[in-house]
Amino acid sequence: MKETISEIKEGAAHIRLMKEIYDKEAVLNATYKMTDKYSVLIKPVGDHEMSVIIEPKSQQSIEELQSAASDFCNEVLDQQVRLNLERRFGKIRELIIEHAFSPLADLKSRLAQIK
Amino acid sequence: MKIMESYTILPFSFSRFGINQMLLVNEAGDFYFLDPPNFSSLIEYHMDTSSSAFKDLKSKHFVTDTDIEPVIDLISTKYRTKKAFLNNFTTLHMIVITARCNHRCNYCHASSEDIKAAGWDMKPEVAKKVVEMIFQSPSQNIKIEFQGGEPLLNWSIVKEIVLYAKELNKKCKKDLEFVLCTNLTLINEDHIAFIKDNNVLLSTSLDGPKDIHDANRIMRNGQSSHKNFIEKLEFVRQHLGQGSVSALMTASVISLNRMKEIIDEYVRLGFCGVFMRALNPFGYAKSSYKQLGYSTEEFTDSYKDTLSYIIDLNIKGTYFAEFFASLLLTRILTPFSTGFVDLESPAGTGICGAIYDQNGDVYPCDEARMLAKAGDKKFLLGNVMNNSYADIFLGETLQNIIANSCVETLPGCSSCVFQIYCGSDPVRNYADQGDIIGHRPTGSFCKKHKTIFEHLFKLIREDKQEVMDVFWSWITKRPIGLMKHVELSGQTIKN
Repeated sequence: MKETISEIKEGAAHIRLMKEIYDKEAVLNATYKMTDKYSVLIKPVGDHEMSVIIEPKSQQSIEELQSAASDFCNEVLDQQVRLNLERRFGKIRELIIEHAFSPLADLKSRLAQIK
Repeated sequence: MKIMESYTILPFSFSRFGINQMLLVNEAGDFYFLDPPNFSSLIEYHMDTSSSAFKDLKSKHFVTDTDIEPVIDLISTKYRTKKAFLNNFTTLHMIVITARCNHRCNYCHASSEDIKAAGWDMKPEVAKKVVEMIFQSPSQNIKIEFQGGEPLLNWSIVKEIVLYAKELNKKCKKDLEFVLCTNLTLINEDHIAFIKDNNVLLSTSLDGPKDIHDANRIMRNGQSSHKNFIEKLEFVRQHLGQGSVSALMTASVISLNRMKEIIDEYVRLGFCGVFMRALNPFGYAKSSYKQLGYSTEEFTDSYKDTLSYIIDLNIKGTYFAEFFASLLLTRILTPFSTGFVDLESPAGTGICGAIYDQNGDVYPCDEARMLAKAGDKKFLLGNVMNNSYADIFLGETLQNIIANSCVETLPGCSSCVFQIYCGSDPVRNYADQGDIIGHRPTGSFCKKHKTIFEHLFKLIREDKQEVMDVFWSWITKRPIGLMKHVELSGQTIKN
């Protein structure tokens, strides 16, 4: 099964995303970036998919819409990678900032807790 | 199947860059370009730990295959250095000595008053309270900047503030600095004597050759200001030295297509750099923006062309910096903190700088003062005559601005690869979009800065020796002849 399915119909790009692959947060982050030129509707489809409808605020050609859909797919992928990485090193990031402003005497044990 | 992790990935942001590159930036501001296959290998823990790319990433603290504790220690130290501006709460204190001005610049966001208008000068009792408020700042570095209107129109108060500040500083022993922002046209020998005796720095405005300068910066009586400005500039330099005055340029629509002439005028007049400043949508500029203004794209296109022209000038032997690029390059290429009120996270408003209006009202920035003048006092922090330091600088208004200005948490900024180098401007967001958080996709602030960051990174990635020499000469404030090519540590970047 494909991670994403997209098609252009009725002047909008319709994209379906697999929930197993993409988090809601990644989809929201990716769509936020498009809100200057597009109205975006996100809704769940069944238990396993999300539907994202990207409708231009002013008229666009099919090629422009396809390009926007393609950019969105790349962006949502990047956002998901960021989320995945954040899950791995987010705690380390917090520790770096905490240690920067208030040096920690127990840095080693705090790191051990993260691992 | 569980992946065997032979290394630990440390926190970083990334973005696609150009056709076939990924740009990675870590918490300390170190950066690295990686091609997509290597990027995939990196995040999937397949990267060859003996490869040069891995070693580069390790040296820049994107990964580690040794004990993590000392690495965290190093990144934390670098992060603390980048955020050192937070230690100096609040350094820049701008004082509106008078709202009166002998100019009526068409973009003036100080929206000045007539030279004969009454009630627009700072009074001695207010000035005294302002100085006392300033010296309650915990910052060891205090810069007092006299603004207007034209501060020379209320010269006695400038002198009182300087002398009283120096008096208080005998006990406080802070690093005290004074800057007088003046159009120079009224300056005389008495002013010069005091300025010289008290080490007051001068900052002025020059918009380019005569016709551009006069088109933007007309005298209140409708006459040209350029000739007088040039004469007074020479007069000041004769008494105080060639480098005694710095100049600020504001680009209106007529400037954008003539930036090379403007740069040539700056060079001709012996200035060592320019800060390419876009028009602010405040004061007169807001009401006449249709005539004076331009799109963000027009500004950034002009900025890139002008930067290229300035770089060429330097390569040909004329030391001349573009100060905004210089500031951003310092953030990108060095570990150091660079205080710049308009581009910090949390926002520099109130933390890095504050402005005291002539009636004693305190605002986190000049733009907030202008909003108040237009009737919206949303960002008024208090008044030196009625409020304590704690009321003003620890009050709810400033806390609300700061809490909503951390790019680490703002939508659109939190995952941006340029986040560590960038900042936010909540007052600008509010003025532009009616909301202090702002909407990044439609906001001009983000578009402008992102475009400039991308352009600078493009030039850095090209790694042309002569261009990098220019950048380092700006960062170190030394002519290019004294510079050697500094190869980006640990990475040879190719086109």
